[in-house]
Amino acid sequence: MRALRTAATGMEAQQLNVEVISNNIANMNTVGFKKQRAEFQDLLYESLVRPGAQSSDAGTVVPTGVQVGSGVKAGSTYRILTQGSATRTDNKLDVMIQGKGYLQVLMPSGETAYTRAGNLSVNDQGQLCTPDGYLIQPSITIPADATDVAISASGQVQVTQPGASAPNQVGQLQLATFLNEGGLEALGSNLFAESGASGAATIGTPGDIGVGKLLQGYTEASNVDAVTEISALIVAQRAYEMNSKVITAADDMLQATAQLKS
Amino acid sequence: MDNPIYVALSREMILRRQMDIVANNIANADTTAFKVENLIVKANPVQAPAPDGGPTTINYALDVALGRDFGQGALTQTGGELDVAIEGDGFFKVQTANGERYTRDGRFSLDSQGRLVTKQGQPVQGDSGDITVDVKKGGLNIARDGTISQGNERVGKLVAVSFSDNAALSKDGDGLYANKSNLSAGPAQSAILHQGMTEGSNVNPILQITNMIEVSRAYERMSKMIDQTAELDRQAINTLGKVTS
Repeated sequence: MRALRTAATGMEAQQLNVEVISNNIANMNTVGFKKQRAEFQDLLYESLVRPGAQSSDAGTVVPTGVQVGSGVKAGSTYRILTQGSATRTDNKLDVMIQGKGYLQVLMPSGETAYTRAGNLSVNDQGQLCTPDGYLIQPSITIPADATDVAISASGQVQVTQPGASAPNQVGQLQLATFLNEGGLEALGSNLFAESGASGAATIGTPGDIGVGKLLQGYTEASNVDAVTEISALIVAQRAYEMNSKVITAADDMLQATAQLKS
Repeated sequence: MDNPIYVALSREMILRRQMDIVANNIANADTTAFKVENLIVKANPVQAPAPDGGPTTINYALDVALGRDFGQGALTQTGGELDVAIEGDGFFKVQTANGERYTRDGRFSLDSQGRLVTKQGQPVQGDSGDITVDVKKGGLNIARDGTISQGNERVGKLVAVSFSDNAALSKDGDGLYANKSNLSAGPAQSAILHQGMTEGSNVNPILQITNMIEVSRAYERMSKMIDQTAELDRQAINTLGKVTS
């Protein structure tokens, strides 16, 4: 019976839904995390009587036909890219991106990854890096004797050094933007990679048209909303149960058939 | 003599198909812009071989069509800039490899060239073909009539089309409908587009579960009827076939 397999696709889809929701909830406190949403689409339809088929020689056509669908599939897990709220940290090396844009990160493999998590640190050579120690591109070195670091909204990194009256600019942070941010490939550790769907990165200065601004001393909280996630979880669980009921009912019908001629 | 068995069998075949459709409805209870489906069944009168004044016609059950309820699904706020829901009658036009298709699923995104596309990457059609936007120009605003603007600049217009008879559209899967009966498509007059919303499925879970119970019980009744008819035959053979001396 097709109903058995159809209900199974429904259960599979809801299972994926729960997995996506649980990942959102688990990452509620991850800096720069963007929530995901599982999106469903109906599967192929089998036309038992094809709509539009000729029903007589006079040219009359079957208006609606009989089409039976075969269930549901997960179309994609879509990342919702709304801005997360600002969390004050007072850490001089935390930058939050307000608006579009990603910081560029040099991966150990030599490739460039992108991140929204602006909780930066310095390594033993004074270079700006992510919590994993991957260097931020373009590379910026904070001198060892710097007493203060200031990062402007447009990305200039200035340090105050003893003996110098004016702050000294040591680098310029840049942001990468994409035509289709949703198409970026998640690598884990808050990092993303460019993909065929995202389009090539366009590098810009923070504050330019279409590029976000930077805010020092803040990090971007995740945009996960607990109430939405929990209600989505309830819906997913009930939908899962309903599909399992269909399996039971279809099984009952098969049993009735099997018991014929008892 | 075996007519009851055949009639019950015709009903059972339809009940199985109905169960498939109920299962598909429930599986898609959470699918964006899914429209609930129902099997339309009619009585199919057939002249029965009854020479000596028996019932002249018997009615088989026959499925004739699949009815799709195009009633509005609930609109849900998503906040997505490229999520568009249609309120009222109407469909978005999508260009696919197999030709033009129609959908009410308005969860769009941009592809790597900045074209507005569906989740499968098929370009959505505006009033002048593909819609291309430049994200650098700032946020997109989609008006209730489908006009897309960025700031003060108009960059395109989403069109909603409607058909004289939605029931004649055939379903392709992936939320796409095909116009295989050559219906005339015109601009949807009553359609209102809502940005940042998606249309939920219009499946009513309670109704579907009761349908499911009904189908499953009816199937059991039919099986019992087949069983009893066969039992009747068996008894007739046993009783009448007895040779009395």
